[in-house]
Amino acid sequence: MMKNPGGKLKVISLALATVALLLMAATGVVRPAKLSPIKIGAAGPYTGDVSKIGLDGLNAIRMAVDEANATGGIGGRKIEIVEADDAADPSKAILVAERLAMDRAVIGVVGPMNSATAQAALPTYQRAGLAIISQSATNPDLTEMGYKVMHRICPRDDAQGPASARFIVETLKPKTVYIIDDKTTYGQGLSDQVEPALKAAGVRVLRGQISMEDRDFSPILTRVKSSAPDLVYLGLANPAQAASLIKQAAGLGLKSAYMGGDGLKEKDQLIDGAAGLAEGMFVTSIGRDIKEIPEAREFIRKFESKYGAMSVFGGQSYEAACILIDAARRAHSDPMKITRANVIAALGKTRDYRGILGFPISFDSKGDVVGANIFVYQVKGGNFVPVKEYPATVPAR
Amino acid sequence: MEQLLAQVPQQIVNGITLGSVYALLALGYSMVYGVLKMLNFAHGNVFMAGAFAGWAILSLFQRSGLIAIPALALAAMALAAIAATALLGAAIERFAYRPLRGGSRLAPLISALGVSIILENAAMLLTSGRAKAIPTELLIPQDMVVHVAGAAISATRLAMLGTSILTMVILDAVVLKTKFGRAMRATSQDAEAAEYMGIRTSLVISATFMLGSALAGLAGVMIGLYYTQVDFMIGFSAGMKAFTAAVLGGIGSFQGAVVGGLLLGLAESFGVLIAPPVYKDAIVFAVLILTLILRPYGLYGKPQQSRA
Repeated sequence: MMKNPGGKLKVISLALATVALLLMAATGVVRPAKLSPIKIGAAGPYTGDVSKIGLDGLNAIRMAVDEANATGGIGGRKIEIVEADDAADPSKAILVAERLAMDRAVIGVVGPMNSATAQAALPTYQRAGLAIISQSATNPDLTEMGYKVMHRICPRDDAQGPASARFIVETLKPKTVYIIDDKTTYGQGLSDQVEPALKAAGVRVLRGQISMEDRDFSPILTRVKSSAPDLVYLGLANPAQAASLIKQAAGLGLKSAYMGGDGLKEKDQLIDGAAGLAEGMFVTSIGRDIKEIPEAREFIRKFESKYGAMSVFGGQSYEAACILIDAARRAHSDPMKITRANVIAALGKTRDYRGILGFPISFDSKGDVVGANIFVYQVKGGNFVPVKEYPATVPAR
Repeated sequence: MEQLLAQVPQQIVNGITLGSVYALLALGYSMVYGVLKMLNFAHGNVFMAGAFAGWAILSLFQRSGLIAIPALALAAMALAAIAATALLGAAIERFAYRPLRGGSRLAPLISALGVSIILENAAMLLTSGRAKAIPTELLIPQDMVVHVAGAAISATRLAMLGTSILTMVILDAVVLKTKFGRAMRATSQDAEAAEYMGIRTSLVISATFMLGSALAGLAGVMIGLYYTQVDFMIGFSAGMKAFTAAVLGGIGSFQGAVVGGLLLGLAESFGVLIAPPVYKDAIVFAVLILTLILRPYGLYGKPQQSRA
């Protein structure tokens, strides 16, 4: 009878494996293994119609992450950005949200930047328990649907809309206002807030719609002209489209004042794009112009020396990323035990975060920002000049 | 409610201006279909390339200060766009369509879709997806507006209309009076027979492609000046409109392309009188569907004869 030859071999290999394990553990004590990186998602439109705004946001997030990594990352863990391009398209936003949700190293997301993309992707983020902090999605519903993961640092359209209407009624005193929106969650949503507030003040309001793909506005502008409004309100998401519309209106001999929402407050696409014809136009803004905030000076200088002129949501994107990183740092004392759940908890506890936006940021129980103002700017001499500011109060629901 | 009647003259002007550009596009589409019997889905993207070529030359003029001579700048834009798109058209035909000629009729169609996607994405990468402003006001005074029967006709529109008509007259002469035009018509009627008669159809097809693309390029410059900006997305919708106009008029027919283009422009403008402006494209495609049902071969087209 032969003895099992494998028996001895098994004992030896087991012993060897034990020694190896002990050795590994021993060296581990002397030199701790490098901590795995932690990831944050950056969801926004990096291609397509509004990619300029998206890419500036992404660059600002990169700056925030680079700075955080230079000061030790999150408890020694290096931060990596996972870029999630949604092209401002809701269906793509869901796909990239799924991708971020599947990557377990992702502990939070900056973005999505558009209301429509945020609305579409929210259920996915909620299911994954992944905190999102949007820099610019202003549609009121986003924080009203009970999603615990949703946070934003911008005031809502139902604060911006009534504030715009108040400004229009108090300052411009028009008889007739024509509202043109672009069917987007943002553009139409904001217009839906402006309209009732104007009507309540006795202003005659007419509405018309275009789509984001439209390039020829003469059909609708001909309609607008025939009703001779004192003010045309542009509920549009794309400043380049607004500039083109204003230029085409001039070609039709339409003379009217213009006003638009925060999405249009972009010098290079709106003011320069309209070649002087946007002069006198009003826009609301969901934040003070970053160039007027002393705390932001250093950020702007660094950003512009690296990436060139900054567009509208650069500062907000930087701030949102910094707040997310700050929350992650507070989430758990052991950096390896930072989870999506404790990041959400820490984010909710953000109190009076002082960054570069010029006001202390806290979140209410819905994830809305507290203490923000709505600002009105006017285009004067080729620049946005502040005219008025209102507290961002939301009507009770 | 807004005064509907008062808008009619202006909407006619809007429709004719836009329609004349659609007509140029549809002409190119129809010509290519004539000689190759294929739908050139990349036509709209060639149009977009023309618009960008015009923009590029204009920025060059702006930088050098030569923009002070508007006539020169406009002529340079048109010529640059025509040259660039003619070359692009020749290249597309040579590399994307010619290798597939004689094979399945579906193959070049797929190839055309591929070319369209490549061109659109290339433009997106080159411009980082941003709209480029065209300072039309430096070239054509924007406040120069003629009022006719309650309609405002800007100088830009007049220039567009004039250019379109002039181009069509020249095109008509080329097709009907020149040797090349005869060769093109012959190839379009029966390529095989034309080959037997000593016509180098390959050359004719190439030249037709260049001519059709150049028309699209010129249309691109005009649209750029009219919309005062260009972006990489304008190609798709322009391609759809050109296709619709060509089918409406009867694909392969020259008069058809012109009439189809004008009708399409007018349908788009007048559609907003009866429906919200946001449905203007829906109206356009409803017109297309109706045409296909009532007159499948288009207004000027001939019923297709089955070939032996």
